[in-house]
Amino acid sequence: MSGSGGGCGGCSIRAIWILNSLDAVVFSRRFPVVEKRWRTACRSENEKVTENSLSYSVFSLFPSDSELAAAFVERKQREGSARGFGIRVSQSSVGSDSWVDDPITRHIIGLYINKEEEGDNNLLWPLILHIKGNYCILILPLVEPRHVKAYARLCQRSDCGNAVGADESLSSLLVDLPSITGAFMVAHAIGDIVAGDAVEPEVLVSASPSVGGLLDSLTGSIGISGISSRAKPVAAPVASSIPSSTAVTGAVAVDAPKIGSRPLDKDTLRTFISSSMPFGTPLDLSYSNISAIKVNGFSSSDLPPADLKQPAWKPYLYKGKQRMLFTIHETVNAAMYDRDEIPDNISVSGQINCRAELEGLPDVSFPLTGLNAAHVEVLSFHPCAQVSEHGADKQAVMFSPPLGNFILLRYQASCGHGPPIKGFYQLSMVSEDKGAFLFKLCLMEGYKSPLTMEFCTVSMPFPRRRVVSFDGTPSIGTVSTTEHSVEWKIVSGGRGLSGKSIEATFPGTVNFAPWQTQRLPSSRSFLGSIADEDSDVETENSNNMVNMEEFIMEKMINDLPPVDLEEPFCWQAYNYAKVSFKIAGASLSGMSVDPKSVSIYPAVKAPAEFSTQVTSGDYILWNTLGKCPSAAAEKV
Amino acid sequence: MPGTAYNFSVSRLKKIDPILKTQHTMSQKPLSPQDWESLIEDFQHGGSRRYKWSSIPSLLDLALSSILKKDFPLKIHLIIFLEEFSDNFLDFDEHFLERLIDTLKIIIQSPTDNLHITLSLKDQMLVSTTSIFISSTHQFNIIIIESLVEFLLILINRPNHGPDRQTRGVACECLRELERSYPCLLSDIAGHLWSLCQNERTHVTQSYMLLFTWVIHNIVVHNVNVSILNTSVPLVPFNVPQSLLLSDVCSSNSNSNGTNNYNYKELRRAMAFLLESPQILTACGMVEFMAMIIPIAVALELQASLLKVQFFGMVYSHDPMLFHVVLKLYLSFFDAFDGQEGEIARRLMLISKEAQSFLVFRLLALHWLLGLNQLVLSGKGDKKKKPMAFDLMGLSFYPNVFDPLALKALKLDLLALCMESLKSKSDSEMGDSVEKVFEDGIVSVSAYKWLPPRSTETAVAFRAFHKFLIGGSSHFDTDPSTTTTIMESTIFHSLQGMLLDMMLECQKLVPVIVAFVDRLLGCQKHCWLGERLLQTFDENFLPKVVMDYKLASCFPLFDRIAENDTIPPSRLLELLIKFMVFLVEKHGPDTGLKSWSKGSKVLGVCRTMLMHHHSSRLFLRLSRLLAFTCLYFPDLEVRDNARYDY
Repeated sequence: MSGSGGGCGGCSIRAIWILNSLDAVVFSRRFPVVEKRWRTACRSENEKVTENSLSYSVFSLFPSDSELAAAFVERKQREGSARGFGIRVSQSSVGSDSWVDDPITRHIIGLYINKEEEGDNNLLWPLILHIKGNYCILILPLVEPRHVKAYARLCQRSDCGNAVGADESLSSLLVDLPSITGAFMVAHAIGDIVAGDAVEPEVLVSASPSVGGLLDSLTGSIGISGISSRAKPVAAPVASSIPSSTAVTGAVAVDAPKIGSRPLDKDTLRTFISSSMPFGTPLDLSYSNISAIKVNGFSSSDLPPADLKQPAWKPYLYKGKQRMLFTIHETVNAAMYDRDEIPDNISVSGQINCRAELEGLPDVSFPLTGLNAAHVEVLSFHPCAQVSEHGADKQAVMFSPPLGNFILLRYQASCGHGPPIKGFYQLSMVSEDKGAFLFKLCLMEGYKSPLTMEFCTVSMPFPRRRVVSFDGTPSIGTVSTTEHSVEWKIVSGGRGLSGKSIEATFPGTVNFAPWQTQRLPSSRSFLGSIADEDSDVETENSNNMVNMEEFIMEKMINDLPPVDLEEPFCWQAYNYAKVSFKIAGASLSGMSVDPKSVSIYPAVKAPAEFSTQVTSGDYILWNTLGKCPSAAAEKV
Repeated sequence: MPGTAYNFSVSRLKKIDPILKTQHTMSQKPLSPQDWESLIEDFQHGGSRRYKWSSIPSLLDLALSSILKKDFPLKIHLIIFLEEFSDNFLDFDEHFLERLIDTLKIIIQSPTDNLHITLSLKDQMLVSTTSIFISSTHQFNIIIIESLVEFLLILINRPNHGPDRQTRGVACECLRELERSYPCLLSDIAGHLWSLCQNERTHVTQSYMLLFTWVIHNIVVHNVNVSILNTSVPLVPFNVPQSLLLSDVCSSNSNSNGTNNYNYKELRRAMAFLLESPQILTACGMVEFMAMIIPIAVALELQASLLKVQFFGMVYSHDPMLFHVVLKLYLSFFDAFDGQEGEIARRLMLISKEAQSFLVFRLLALHWLLGLNQLVLSGKGDKKKKPMAFDLMGLSFYPNVFDPLALKALKLDLLALCMESLKSKSDSEMGDSVEKVFEDGIVSVSAYKWLPPRSTETAVAFRAFHKFLIGGSSHFDTDPSTTTTIMESTIFHSLQGMLLDMMLECQKLVPVIVAFVDRLLGCQKHCWLGERLLQTFDENFLPKVVMDYKLASCFPLFDRIAENDTIPPSRLLELLIKFMVFLVEKHGPDTGLKSWSKGSKVLGVCRTMLMHHHSSRLFLRLSRLLAFTCLYFPDLEVRDNARYDY
């Protein structure tokens, strides 16, 4: 298994392509050293083929940019979209990724290359597909020819599909191939550069809104123009690494700025790739380290530590005033039902971001307490941390901090304080174009100072209806409308809400423009052909519909497009209100760091500061009078 | 075997007159930077666009001259171009390689001015030159290769030297790549590399360490008899080891007589040194490092528990690459990890819940869990091991409401797998719970019941039905699990019931259910299941169908039933007769084409029956139906067709 000379156990990249929204290759990079290893492996694999005429040979050649783009377009047509169906549907054809019937084939794809010299339909696999902004990034890691053959068998199989835990499967290939995992890391690193959001995690200090990144610590907080890695002031990369909060939630976030319209910075990409994986084998994917080295270089005054080896992930040592900063970021997701049969579901995803401005290579440690009370479920750490066995309620964290801001640990927890916003939302359609709604909410019940709610907004999205007008006055706050939503600002502006709870009610009505049937392009549909071929399937039962509401819902639901597999459910099929808020002062899970208990070895006097920030992720109040998605409660 | 692709047998003597080459180049008209840009683009694009440049002679010489031109703006771009297409140029000969190495030396030795000669340029020149050397398929002049290696060795032989540390690191990477391509190239000087590795303390120590590890790896894997403590062979001048010059010694050595030529004690010391400070490696470095360490540890029969103690902590890291390293370690040393399976499985399950992670890593974690389970069960290694502790944590795979549908789909797979382990327990104990888990799991995509049939929720739900149904019944001929066992299973019974209810409550799902049945019918091993479902539908669905125009959505199902000769046609025919009566009764001025389209469909099903059933039980009822249609059907075309069939 590992006797292949590290060829398979490691991670090497054969090539990288970036395609734009017109499916043209705008950047490509291949690594001939890795390609040579691939060709050698193919040669010996194909020699076996002559002995056994039943097997077939592996595609050993390499596609040009135009051949790759053509194959990509062909797959897109065959599989309905750039990512593909992901699971076996009626349009899936034998040989396609979706025939394998696994959602991960939307991320690991195969292309059939047509090449004059080797004939048509040569399978190129595995290609890691990462879509960022308007760009598709494709990474081809080195695997062994037998892996490609195994995959080819999976997408050609004539039976009804994989049994769980039996047969030859994609899962066992994925376990066997760290190069695929590594290629995903490469894809994400390149994606961040393409989109221009390769920034460090946000760390807050009391004095100024946020602290800069690695370069700032080198240059005494003077950002170097153009490549400053200073964290964005509000939208932290923390947020950008949380898929659920960046994903378009319903159509709430439609007006988010579009990334990807910026031109591709090919020079930056080329430099990053050359430094991070000079021969196609990744060495370090930290953009901030690589750009710092490129800009600053080294002088003879940059002395290595006297008796220790300087880690590869810490090319520079900090010099200057010493201090430590910790910020707990928590994102609260909630599905609030206000129904007897479905319990509310609230969870907190948290992380501790850290910045250690310490000279030399010290070790830092502190105890994490209250893990039980917070029901902290997942703890995963930055690679710089050494993890001892988990204690029941207590765990010490010891780490040797890198430069700049980093995510020290991540966790999942329950909401120790109870939900910050409780209550219900009811919406009832009184006619086809008019809905009556009622909110009854309680904010910050049981929350004591210093917990402060900085803002709180409730939004009712109607992505498929146009809001014409609304009527009603909330007991507190202000209301505004956009074309497809009603926004209710309950807490806003400088005055936060602290030390008390408030009740907020909002009865009203909303009027929509008349409903227009939206016809779907049938190519986008998931199980389209089998359902649509009977065009005379009746929707004539409008008269026997029990009430107006069901009738309208039925009408709207019938032309709902299928959502991507990356969405949790079809948002547009439900009526809901989404709450956005920010709470400062303490974490909601109960997780905290005691600045006094932070110890540094070798001992040095460095003050530790600690701050928290809690924001909402998907905090959803489902319409208690309508349908709602749910899941069976988890049992541990 | 990586060691077979090279040959050093070319003579040492040839040395080309540099003046001749220079004159040759001077006669060329240089290309402008714009020309180069479009040339590079055309090469990348491929096809005819590339061929149009083939008329330019000595493209390579032109390229090297441009790189050396002081103010040429595309130096790095052009160097990468030469590297990327190095296996495409047929005129990559010794002359060119010599010139290339001269160019390399000129650039490296020029002082950095941060404008034309930058550190990036130097690094790229080192990397690309090495890459071109390795990937050109020609047999090389040994003098050239020795001169490249020697040049790189001189560069790295200044441990801790400040300003050029990055370049030294890059030079180590070049040497490592050469050692990887020409195994044991550096084995004679391993002692020097070790001491350099011990001395280096800047952040590029990773590159020194990885270089030394590769050299040790090749010594062990290729079973070479050298002393890695001995530094009697000087570092420079560098000579390709005699053993490599003779022939492919490395590969012949390794299996000659089964004895180990290498110095076991020394190598263990080297290993101890390497395992001292893995914490200085980046995650990527760690992947490379472990890919080499594992085979060394296997060959030297090191105690795997040492590796476990050192590296198991990485399962708590949030870097997926580090986690994967532990998995590889686990798969290599099953026994050392005895008792740790549960912890690995638990971590994987937890990773899949990390909402902060990218979806794809959460999907990967679940795949790893499935894959590990499979590899362990399939008995890799000597001992059969027990499966991952699924029964303990199975129920924590229930999808969460906000899990993306892709994740829900995979979690349902895992639930299905857990069902398999539940099944192995006593039936009375677990019978109910299997059904309960199935139903609870499906709640997360239950919207399929009312969303349009093309919805993604529907696709995920039916995918899960399939997984739960066939469970662990693989498609191997050797698999003893029979369709009968599945037919008697609780899952099959409850699924059958579910599908029936679904069809009665929501007829628009019938085509989806038919597609599901088709999937089973098309499978050699599981087609019986499809047949059984059709039989059930015939017995229990047909009698309950409500007569109205919506029945049209059921016709795909009627077709499947009609095609199947294990199902007696009587029920279907009764239903079709009733439907024809309904159509006749309902016919009126507002009917439009409905009578025609529905009536034609009924006749279509009748035709299917005629083709697939060769028994008299068909004829009585069928003739009644056709006779009725001939006499009373309001649409003339249908009536005529019926008469024709009759």
